[in-house]
Amino acid sequence: MRVALFVTCLADLMKPGVAFAAIRLLEHGGCTVEVPQAQTCCGQPAYNSGDRATAIALARKVLDEFEGFDYVVAPSGSCGGMVRAHYPELFRDDPATLKRIEGLASRTYELTDFLVNVLKLESVPGDFKGTVTYHDSCSGLRELNVKAQPRALLALLPGVTLTEMNEAETCCGFGGTFSLKFGEVSTQLADNKCGHACATGADAIVGGDLGCLLNIEGRLRRRGDLKSQVLHIAEVLAGETEG
Amino acid sequence: MELRSNEFKARAAANLGNEKLQKGLGLIKVKAVVNRANAVAEFGDFETLREAGKEIRNRALADLDLYLERFEREATARGAVVHWAENASEACRIVVDIAKQNGVKTAAKSKSMVSEEVGLNDALIEAGIEPIETDLGEYILQINDAEPPSHIVMPVIHKTAEDVADLFHAKHGTPRKTDPAALTREAREILRPKFLSADMGVSGANFLIAETGSTLIVTNEGNGRLCTTLPRLHVAITGIEKVVATLEDVSTLLRLLPRSATGQAITNYVSLHTGPKRLEETDGPQQFHIVLVDNGRSKLLAGEMREMLRCIRCGACMNHCPVYQAVGGHAYGWVYPGPMGNILTPSYVGLENAVALPNAATMCNQCGVVCPVKIPLPDLMRKLREEQMVRGLKPWTERAGLALWGWAAQRPALYALGTRIAVRFMKWLGGSEKLIHRLPLASGWSDGRDFPAPAGRTFRELYKERRT
Amino acid sequence: MSTRENILGRVRDALKRKVSPQDTASIDAHIAAHPLGMQPLRDWEPELRFRARAEALASTVEKVASLQSVPGAVARYLVVNNLPTGGICWPSLRKLDWIGAGLGMEDRPARGDDLVGVTGCFCAVAETGTLMFLSGPDTPAAASLLPETHIAIVEAARIVPFMEDAWALLRAERGSLPRAVNFVSGPSRTADIEQTVTMGAHGPYRVHIILVG
Repeated sequence: MRVALFVTCLADLMKPGVAFAAIRLLEHGGCTVEVPQAQTCCGQPAYNSGDRATAIALARKVLDEFEGFDYVVAPSGSCGGMVRAHYPELFRDDPATLKRIEGLASRTYELTDFLVNVLKLESVPGDFKGTVTYHDSCSGLRELNVKAQPRALLALLPGVTLTEMNEAETCCGFGGTFSLKFGEVSTQLADNKCGHACATGADAIVGGDLGCLLNIEGRLRRRGDLKSQVLHIAEVLAGETEG
Repeated sequence: MELRSNEFKARAAANLGNEKLQKGLGLIKVKAVVNRANAVAEFGDFETLREAGKEIRNRALADLDLYLERFEREATARGAVVHWAENASEACRIVVDIAKQNGVKTAAKSKSMVSEEVGLNDALIEAGIEPIETDLGEYILQINDAEPPSHIVMPVIHKTAEDVADLFHAKHGTPRKTDPAALTREAREILRPKFLSADMGVSGANFLIAETGSTLIVTNEGNGRLCTTLPRLHVAITGIEKVVATLEDVSTLLRLLPRSATGQAITNYVSLHTGPKRLEETDGPQQFHIVLVDNGRSKLLAGEMREMLRCIRCGACMNHCPVYQAVGGHAYGWVYPGPMGNILTPSYVGLENAVALPNAATMCNQCGVVCPVKIPLPDLMRKLREEQMVRGLKPWTERAGLALWGWAAQRPALYALGTRIAVRFMKWLGGSEKLIHRLPLASGWSDGRDFPAPAGRTFRELYKERRT
Repeated sequence: MSTRENILGRVRDALKRKVSPQDTASIDAHIAAHPLGMQPLRDWEPELRFRARAEALASTVEKVASLQSVPGAVARYLVVNNLPTGGICWPSLRKLDWIGAGLGMEDRPARGDDLVGVTGCFCAVAETGTLMFLSGPDTPAAASLLPETHIAIVEAARIVPFMEDAWALLRAERGSLPRAVNFVSGPSRTADIEQTVTMGAHGPYRVHIILVG
């Protein structure tokens, strides 16, 4: 099956290793992975900032680039949620495009959801050893129902022990441009998240969205914690934690 | 209430360091949130109940004119007097006129957010009528120089028992006590004679029932019952959107409201009032007036915010909002805090007067999934952001940044070049620590966080190399 | 144009009605049918559920065989709890033998300083452990509200499963609503100070329910 990787702009810029890890996992599951080279961004920053015109333009761009594949997979609940839960609303007054968009949305998956519910992976290539705690990112959790999937995948790694943190489902305070506009409040929420995560004593804080992970890592480091790892679930599962 | 919503950012930041406030807010997570979760689990199929609640409210709004007319006809037939108020000042004038015509000197009030919205207390005081707040929380606020509430259900969530102890000691001149039960008893003893002597009772209405022309209030303290039973006049003031069709409809909503608000299966008291005192009755008001307030609601019905009119004022959205939990209600600067306020405040007072509020959310949708009538709160906030964009109400820096980024993101070659430069620059900024202590153009992010610097090359660069 | 017409006009515009409809059939039919909404699963027997729920809401419950046994039960409750043996009762209860039980119950309107109030009730709702009161000349609302102790007499046969069943009973027996319908679920309470639940905010500190039947 031909799967297009939606790299996500944050993985492209900040953590290329996440995208390579995603490719490795998809190939491990038997997919032929392609990376459309003209892709940029799903348009969520524009959409959530009220810039509907730009969001629509970028959604059309994504549609053109990704429409021809069996599946589209993103290592992010946020971008996946944008396509699945919000793209159709952008084209509610354009029936012809809406039909195509709905098709695309139905074939678009968040990475762990795809690995568990479409590929039904029974093994992963990673060899991570240690205790981890999992942060449930809001979009993945509440728009795509991603909750059990990453935990099921972590359970495939014999060296991993999952210790749940308190308030795992509470927002880390990132919220895209919210973290810039309301820096103090955003930092406070990130601090709460760090507190709960660190209280588990886990070696690594793992999540499925780079926006949250950069936010959490950023606050951890400012708090003086240079030791705790902050990892994308794809890196843990694929064993490629460098990149 | 004085409108201070445009000060959100500064007041929110200040509240983060307010220890007493943070103590009160901390209780929400361990009490209100936990109690709701338990009550929802105990009920069983709460999702179907939420859907039913949404349908009931939608049905009422879809024929709002007809239900209001039916309500008015039934209420009038039972001897109530129905008044219509266009806005806050008209609502106040109606209540003041009723009071003056009947020689009212004191008015005992049970909690009503609409009365806060229209500023009724100030209007009564100006007319020489003494309003007495009787809900314990509202009473505490009133004797604290008419401080505004910080939550729609738990108005003094920002105060500790120590604060109340100091306040009662100072204002009542009684020995200082900190036990909540003793403080509650003290307030009861001070308020009881005021109930008995008040000329007028003022209440809100959680629902209006078209079938019977009844107003309905839910309370736990019993002050709502006292206000509507003892004084010779009862004035209920509420919004036009509160109408529902039948007693059965309201029964369904009553399964949602207290569970969502406080985790109770039912409030201590649910009271329906249908007309004034009947022949030979020994208690009840001689006159019953119902003031139906528009104040922007009909405008909401016409627009994209219509779904907000389903709101039954439970407060679950704020209890579950990480931003509200961090900054408290006063930061929102008007009557309705939290996610509901992010929509209602700009809708009622003007988007330009509450510019920050629709943006003051991470869009985590914790509010949307707990809302008992399934209001898609983040979607409505986003629509207000769109309106801000169209009306030029966003700062030029944000508009320029978005425009530049959006323009580039639609031009892949240019975008690739730009991102290549950006990640190299960021790598350099990170230095040997690989942490950026100060992000250019994004200091809001880096004031409290160190940005993990990228490795210096984009995925697409590396991917191209590896595949060729 | 009056404010009323302005508001209703804007509502009609918002709902895209061209003319003020004379035909209200759409809402009349719904109101006439008053269909049941969502009720929780009923996997309980009403009286047991009512008792369990009422006790969970901090009411106390006992059961006696007949109405004649009520004054004795009231007297025992008041004595055991060290409460005054006099107070007020609904006029509808004046014929019970209060004096024979050693109680001084006056069938007059409640005052602010009355300490004990004895009432009947219209019916009780099992789902939530709730008492339903209808105001009237013989069943004044203040009797269940002003005294610190409220004792309510409930015919066991009038415990209905859900609030909707109470409305059905009300429609069947009375046809229309009295001035006040009060649903009471336990003693008055507040949690305004530090979310600490405290009994006896403005209404009764304690509610004692005597089931009859």
